[in-house]
Amino acid sequence: MNTGPYSDEKVQKFLEEQFIPLRSQCFWDKPTGPMQRFGITWTPTFLILDADGKEHHRFVGYVPADDLFANLGLGKAKAFFDSGRMAEAMAQFQTVIDRHPNAGAAPEAVFLLGVAGYKHTQDPKELRRAYETLKAKYPQSEWARRADPYSAIPL
Amino acid sequence: MAEIRWETDFDAALAKARKSGKPVFQDFWFDG
Repeated sequence: MNTGPYSDEKVQKFLEEQFIPLRSQCFWDKPTGPMQRFGITWTPTFLILDADGKEHHRFVGYVPADDLFANLGLGKAKAFFDSGRMAEAMAQFQTVIDRHPNAGAAPEAVFLLGVAGYKHTQDPKELRRAYETLKAKYPQSEWARRADPYSAIPL
Repeated sequence: MAEIRWETDFDAALAKARKSGKPVFQDFWFDG
């Protein structure tokens, strides 16, 4: 059962310590309740949920360990973000950026760190800093293009 | 080696999340 990235001892430890791991088998001819609830149409699909079952992050397809860690961290951060816990969200976004700078989830973490920083401080420079980081480190990412309007914010 | 102790019941996972304060990581998989 613990194959692929789950065979990595660091992944096992991280999942055990930081999450409640839940596996849900899919049956295409007879979709299960969880499949219908979350509109699952392909596997593997991974969700980060809060204790009310609300979805905060989703990613589809097999990912290597570094990307898995980054998505897990991003999911935790987005759960904080969605519940208005901006200081905790900022710390978690920063952890993703620092530990997994080459992961596919890193540019989204930079973008949302800027938004969380703005929401936390009301300082629009947080958005401009996110733009600058994205332009410098992830210029080809969609998140850099999404941050483009923030280039007009004075530093 | 540590093993991941997977929960397979959705409601039980949410109950564990409420008790622990941890989020749920849900893996939808297909045996095929």
